[in-house]
Amino acid sequence: MGMATEHESVELVGDELVGNIARAALFAALMGAGSYVSFPNPISPIPVTMQVLVVFLAGIFLGPVWGGGSIALYLAAGGLGAPVFAGGSAGLAPLVGPTAGYLWSYPVAAAVVGLVVHGGVDIGDYRVSTARLVGAMVAGTVVVYAFGTLGFAYVQSVGLESAFWTASAAFIPAEAFKIAAAVGIVRSDAIAAQ
Amino acid sequence: MLTYEPGDSLAHRLDPRTKLAVQVAFAAAGFAHTTPTGLVALGVVAAGCLRAADASPVAALRDLKYAIPFLALGPLVEAARLGAPWFDPEAAVEPALASVRVLLVFFVAAAYVRTTPVRESRAAIQRLVPGRVGVALGVSIALVFRFLPLVRRDLRRVREAQAARLGSERRLDERLSLVAAGGLRRSFARADALALALRARCFAWNPTLPEIRFGRRDAPGLVLAAVLLASLAF
Repeated sequence: MGMATEHESVELVGDELVGNIARAALFAALMGAGSYVSFPNPISPIPVTMQVLVVFLAGIFLGPVWGGGSIALYLAAGGLGAPVFAGGSAGLAPLVGPTAGYLWSYPVAAAVVGLVVHGGVDIGDYRVSTARLVGAMVAGTVVVYAFGTLGFAYVQSVGLESAFWTASAAFIPAEAFKIAAAVGIVRSDAIAAQ
Repeated sequence: MLTYEPGDSLAHRLDPRTKLAVQVAFAAAGFAHTTPTGLVALGVVAAGCLRAADASPVAALRDLKYAIPFLALGPLVEAARLGAPWFDPEAAVEPALASVRVLLVFFVAAAYVRTTPVRESRAAIQRLVPGRVGVALGVSIALVFRFLPLVRRDLRRVREAQAARLGSERRLDERLSLVAAGGLRRSFARADALALALRARCFAWNPTLPEIRFGRRDAPGLVLAAVLLASLAF
């Protein structure tokens, strides 16, 4: 196959942007890898995956813009065939399927968590009070389940109530564990000096 | 698992932009015509797409197993009643049609994934999204594909180490936190190394891309996409 060569002079990408692109790409890969990691749930038969936790962490560590962007990148890579959606599935179908609402909610939720934690669009110190961290993630959880329920109702042509009981209710309690896990990560300084 | 496989089917030889156009138009048409007639017509198109990709519907279905409980539950829950007659089959019709629509979109999307390598998807994105946003998006998508197996391995190692130390007996939030923190640390380290490597190699706004070009064989695909989009008006 031939190559489409560019003949103009080479224009380098700025250092800060290179760093942000690298982090966003790695966070998107972490989000995809998280879909393969599930734990038995102590309070329900539905296993708990790491994904929503990665959404929270993206908002906390990368801020609203790059955190939301990295999760949007995860959706784009998955849509183009990276095996990153539930159960290692890939392609456009999950993005318009029954769980599409959840997928589309993730970048918005990461941005919301980032906005609340960093108190604006600019990235600041993520080591804020526990109440603010928890509040940010509760707001993120509300976004995830609101989109998820609406998406299921629309895609499957069912009422909102059926959608909530079929696709949302059983998953909500486990979110408390993810919020606790994220608070633990921020408090432990396990990710020092990022 | 559904993934790219080299081959020389018709769909392999199409421009990736044609295939993206057909997919998006097909999904839109599916949502606009969720009627028995509409779905039969779209079913024919979906079968044609699988045929053009040399893909078997059975293999494609195996990848859909995560969604099958939702597809089946939708109609059942909607038709269930809390009193006599307990079950209203008429209420299940619309959700059942919606489930069929998801299935058909899935077949068409599977044809894309099976026949399009990452470098072509990246080239298509970079040409469809103008300017530097497109370049950054294309590079980032390629990086996600590249790093996914490495990050998966990182997470697997953390979990193995955790299991070896009886960490699986810990509370769920502690287990989640340990695995996520391990994954996060390694991902940040990888991101720093990657950024350094990109700068050292003069990461530029005008990289060399594989050539993709519309050919005569793309014409039927583009016409199909146009017809599907035109059907939205009716």
